[in-house]
Amino acid sequence: MAEPYLVVEHLTKVYERGQVLALKDVSFTVEKGEFLVVIGLSGSGKSTLLRCINRLVEPTSGRIFIGGVEVTRLSAREMRKMRRKIGMIFQQFNLIKRATVMTNVLTGRLGYNPTWRSVLGLFPHSDRELALRNLERVGLSDKAYVRADELSGGQQQRVGIARALMQEPELLLADEPVSALDPATSHSVMQYLEQMNREDGVTVLASLHFLSLARRYGTRIIALKDGQLVFEGPPEAIDDTKFKEIYGEEAEQVEVR
Amino acid sequence: MTSDAAAAVHPKARVDWGALRRRFLSFLLDWMIWGYIAYGVMYFLNAYWWTVPLERFYTTLTLPSWGWPLAILGTLEMAVWSRNLGRSLGLRAFGYEVWGEDAAPTPGQRVRRALLWHLSVLPLGAGLWSSPERPWHDRLAGTELRLLPSPAPKRRKAFLSQWGIMALLLVVLTIWLGWLIIKIDLGVLIRRGDEGARIWLEMLRPDFRYFVRPDPVFELRNLSFSILDMAVVTLFMALLSTILGATFAFPLSFLGARNVMGFNSIGWLVYFVMRGLFNIFRSIDTMLWAVIFAVWVLWGSPLAGVLALTVHTIAALGKLYSEQVEGIDPGPVEAVAAAGGSRIEVIRYAVIPQVAPSFWAFTLYRWDINVRMSTVIALVGGGGIGDLLFYYKNQGDWPKVGAVVMVIVAIVWAMDYISGRLRERIA
Repeated sequence: MAEPYLVVEHLTKVYERGQVLALKDVSFTVEKGEFLVVIGLSGSGKSTLLRCINRLVEPTSGRIFIGGVEVTRLSAREMRKMRRKIGMIFQQFNLIKRATVMTNVLTGRLGYNPTWRSVLGLFPHSDRELALRNLERVGLSDKAYVRADELSGGQQQRVGIARALMQEPELLLADEPVSALDPATSHSVMQYLEQMNREDGVTVLASLHFLSLARRYGTRIIALKDGQLVFEGPPEAIDDTKFKEIYGEEAEQVEVR
Repeated sequence: MTSDAAAAVHPKARVDWGALRRRFLSFLLDWMIWGYIAYGVMYFLNAYWWTVPLERFYTTLTLPSWGWPLAILGTLEMAVWSRNLGRSLGLRAFGYEVWGEDAAPTPGQRVRRALLWHLSVLPLGAGLWSSPERPWHDRLAGTELRLLPSPAPKRRKAFLSQWGIMALLLVVLTIWLGWLIIKIDLGVLIRRGDEGARIWLEMLRPDFRYFVRPDPVFELRNLSFSILDMAVVTLFMALLSTILGATFAFPLSFLGARNVMGFNSIGWLVYFVMRGLFNIFRSIDTMLWAVIFAVWVLWGSPLAGVLALTVHTIAALGKLYSEQVEGIDPGPVEAVAAAGGSRIEVIRYAVIPQVAPSFWAFTLYRWDINVRMSTVIALVGGGGIGDLLFYYKNQGDWPKVGAVVMVIVAIVWAMDYISGRLRERIA
């Protein structure tokens, strides 16, 4: 079998200031086309792990390979190029609130266009067409010229997805994409991610709070506790004992339907 | 993020300089306050009751030679005791509180702590170095200096609420002392009332003869000024300095913002240099800049005024802008960077949209200031309508002064109105 698409080796992250160890020697691999879900309590290192993969957070030690390229060794310029292929969506959506939905979606193309053009706001016509297509895909074509902060939470996250789609990504990092949303909206957003995964063949790494969502959408699950990898396996393999190991003795399973 | 994934990597081993610095500053504050009170007391003694029998004790700051050690040591003692017998302003300002064993300290502990302090700190702070969190005097007295917020122990009331007494004392002292030092005498306003009335009355029949036509009195200086000419000059001084200042401050402010410059060593350097320059240039007042440029360029030339206003505007707006940039939501920055955006693209798409409204608001605020300053900057050679004002004033030509003042009021009022309307549009 060929080399896995994403390889994380002995990844460790220490936050200098608080002398906090966020990730301890985490290793795992992801095959192309997988939907890997990362679970764990708040503060277990999920966000740090995802941000280390596209180096929004600089790992302290360890190596990360994407498609055979060692991203941990890339220069800043090369990393920017690499990031084009890595889409990311966020818990708080991270949209430019005062800009239109269109502008927000177009920022997904920044990596593909020369800086001077983007600074002047000159996006190629093809980008604008692609943006409209992607907005249509997430069901927001009528909102293209509305200010982002006028949308509901679920709609904002769909704009986030459209922005990630603009990158035509191979890999999608989703940092608790539905934590700020209500259960019904959560499923609609998760289904867009599932669609990207199945139809476009995008490898997805999503961190999720709820085990029920993880079971429903993940093809495989890894669990972090205090920055360490404590579980790796198929969704069915998490029984009550495992659950308590990951979330602590007091935890109760909460269903999100 | 995951900062609450608490797992200490290194146990604390080094001297905690931050804690030491806090303790020192907190103590220094108390010491200074008592020094100020002592100064006030000396001043009152001197003013009201007993003049220190020493010839050299005549200015407000001079003490007789024996007075200095007395003042320094006396105020030191006051600081120590006020910190221990109650909660002094210095403790409060830094969020400190003296604790016993999980309760308010007993009076005995308080006194012991104050006495032991001398043994512990006076020998070059020997008792502090080993563990600034709990120095010798605290360990021996069984007390501890804790940082709030922590659940406050049951507090004794009465005179132990030291800081309130100190604060009240400071306010009363300052008013009283200030009254004496400034030699405030409100009666003079009445006694010299006819002088005031004369000026007001003359100014209220303003002389507008030279509103459009240049005033011949300036022919001696080979100049041709009318009030209107100078009003236009002044308006452009304010406009130009605001626009130029904002234009330069805008790009510079990103260099002075921590979050944009990144956390590597070059970033730190640029940040510190930028912020340092902003602070230095800002702390030199526009009037002082005008003095410098008036000598440099030409006394009384509007160019000197524009340069002075522009330099100060760059520094002031630069600082305000960079603080805004530092206060943005980092989310969009992450998102644009994650999509492969370069630093400039991050600024363009994630930072500027967030700061634009406050940038406009600050620019308008500065525009108000520049309008006001440009009308009087001529006092120190900066040119503009103030030139006429001070010339006529020196001539004692109050009707003309009245006319110029009215034009100044009109300019300021009109510009305030415009900037107010613009502000409404932005908000």
